[in-house]
Amino acid sequence: MADITLLALFEDIDPAADAIEKLRHMGVTDDRINVLSGAPIPYKMLGRPHPHTNVSKLSLGGAIAGALFGLFLNFGTPNMYYVPVGGQYITPIPPGLIVLFEMTMLFALLATFLGVFLDSYFPNYRPMEYTPEISDGKIGIFFKCAENEQTKIADALGVLGAETIKPVEAQQL
Amino acid sequence: MAVLSKYLPGAKKAREDHFEKDDPRQYLMHDPIPRGQMNEMVMESMHATSWKFWMVFGILSVLVAVCFFYAWGYMIAEGLWVAGVMRPAYWGIFLVNTVFWIGISHAGTFISAILRVFKAEFRRPFTRAAELMTTFGLIQAGASIFMHLGRVWLSYWMFPLPNQRELWPNFHSPLMWDLLAITTYVLGSTMYLYLPLIPDLAMARDRSTGWRKTFYRILALGFRGTEGEWRHLHTAMNFFAFAIIPVMFSVHTIVSWDFAMAMRPGWSSSVFGPYFVLGALHSGMGAVAIVLFIMRYTMKHMDYFIRKEHFDALGKLMMMVSFTYAYFIFNDYIIQWYGGNLATDNLLHWLEEGPMSWMFYQMILFNIVIPFAVLWIPKVRQTPWLLAVVGLLINIGMYWERYIIIPVMLTINNMPFTWKLYEPRIEIYLTIGTFALFLLFYMAASRLIPLIPVWEVQEGQMAHTMRKIGKANVSTISDFE
Repeated sequence: MADITLLALFEDIDPAADAIEKLRHMGVTDDRINVLSGAPIPYKMLGRPHPHTNVSKLSLGGAIAGALFGLFLNFGTPNMYYVPVGGQYITPIPPGLIVLFEMTMLFALLATFLGVFLDSYFPNYRPMEYTPEISDGKIGIFFKCAENEQTKIADALGVLGAETIKPVEAQQL
Repeated sequence: MAVLSKYLPGAKKAREDHFEKDDPRQYLMHDPIPRGQMNEMVMESMHATSWKFWMVFGILSVLVAVCFFYAWGYMIAEGLWVAGVMRPAYWGIFLVNTVFWIGISHAGTFISAILRVFKAEFRRPFTRAAELMTTFGLIQAGASIFMHLGRVWLSYWMFPLPNQRELWPNFHSPLMWDLLAITTYVLGSTMYLYLPLIPDLAMARDRSTGWRKTFYRILALGFRGTEGEWRHLHTAMNFFAFAIIPVMFSVHTIVSWDFAMAMRPGWSSSVFGPYFVLGALHSGMGAVAIVLFIMRYTMKHMDYFIRKEHFDALGKLMMMVSFTYAYFIFNDYIIQWYGGNLATDNLLHWLEEGPMSWMFYQMILFNIVIPFAVLWIPKVRQTPWLLAVVGLLINIGMYWERYIIIPVMLTINNMPFTWKLYEPRIEIYLTIGTFALFLLFYMAASRLIPLIPVWEVQEGQMAHTMRKIGKANVSTISDFE
């Protein structure tokens, strides 16, 4: 039997959290459930597994790369392009700290920004499963189940307060 | 327990003026309306455009064309002689504008990042309006630097590009630090503006047709609001909030070092860094008050989002910043006064009695005396037009402060035979041009970008509930972040 993707829409967090638990009891595993919302809802409130993110690791990587670039800019390049100025040291440390700081922060911020793109697969203009009601404040639970279980699950979620339960297909956003 | 705030009776028509003194609905966070309605209000505020809007837009466009592009083009073609800068004031209004606009840009980061870090809830509806000021202010600051350069086509000499002539930037120079710091700040604040904008662009995409749909679809990047997307976004925004604060401090500190590193009367000061940062926040806060006032009274439905409580909170911040600014300015001037340096004494006497003394006294009056005198009064803080007037006066005062620091302090130097008052020429047109361009950008953005971060407002409203403790109903905030 082929799988089908269903969408259950909820108005409130409590019934949505109950519905997720019910789905789990009915054999729909967490990796087959996706929760969409118009405002961020902490995963603990929905009883969902902690979503993994690489953004902070990428930020750290960016900071390290930026620090190395700052060191190179301040302590490496003046030796490659030797410009003596009024008896000053060629590679003094205090001004170097400023260059080091700015480059560290710049690269860390860029890497963080890039991290959101990489982790979220942005930009993504392919057809996707979605309904505009999500941005109207509804909580959408998208889940995959066997086609013959559709009615049973829909009934169970309806009892828990789902406003709509319908099959969804990927569409152009 | 349901976490979502329950809509209170009459909330749809609710406006703060209609509420009793103790009614929690006078506060945005306790006056929730359905998200769909909130979205519609924000979309309508972008679409509802009167002929007055287009008239102002047209006037600003003409000003930008004449005072910005034509005047700048003329100066590039003719050379810097058309400007008033000459010995001893080689740094004139272009750099005054640069410092002023960087100062304005600080408000966005302060309001958005610092208040986010400290979880100050009143920030929610106007973080974006402030962040836009940062980005547009920095564009004007950058343009002003290029105007000051004169031969703009050689600006690439500032970048570390390997070349046969072995020209290499001197990283010991505060001007190079400026380049690095401002570049970091421009990129950082633009990314910080864009990240929280993505969910609202997705909201706009879901409610648009035609070219707007395509525009929002491209910018929303395919955002749907999955758990993963929110998690990545939140992690990034938290990092940005913490990281952009030291960058913001570094930018204006480095700008101050452009002056403080030189052994000149009035400039050589160890408190210039924090003094400049405070000055930047002072003018930025004032500018936010002006922008919020204009938004509230010219854009549809904004009186729901921007309320007296926000002006009140902003007024308190302005008062606090004004106190701190007074402390630094006193610190700076009294130490110079006690220093006994002849040239510095001349400068201080000149500020007291010279031809530019009116500027000095207005600076003190607008930046310290008036905010000190009026922002204590809750009625003033809660009256949007009054707070906007105070904000305007602060910005005039801060502009004079930068004018005194740059061309005036350059004029009264160690060589009295060079003293000659700076008289701006084409700089005046270009200054009008930068102000017009800033306003033009803002007006255009108000039609294209949701100025209210709807999802942040909804998140705040979800987190706020009223709880009965003893005999009283008190506001309670759940930690949603």
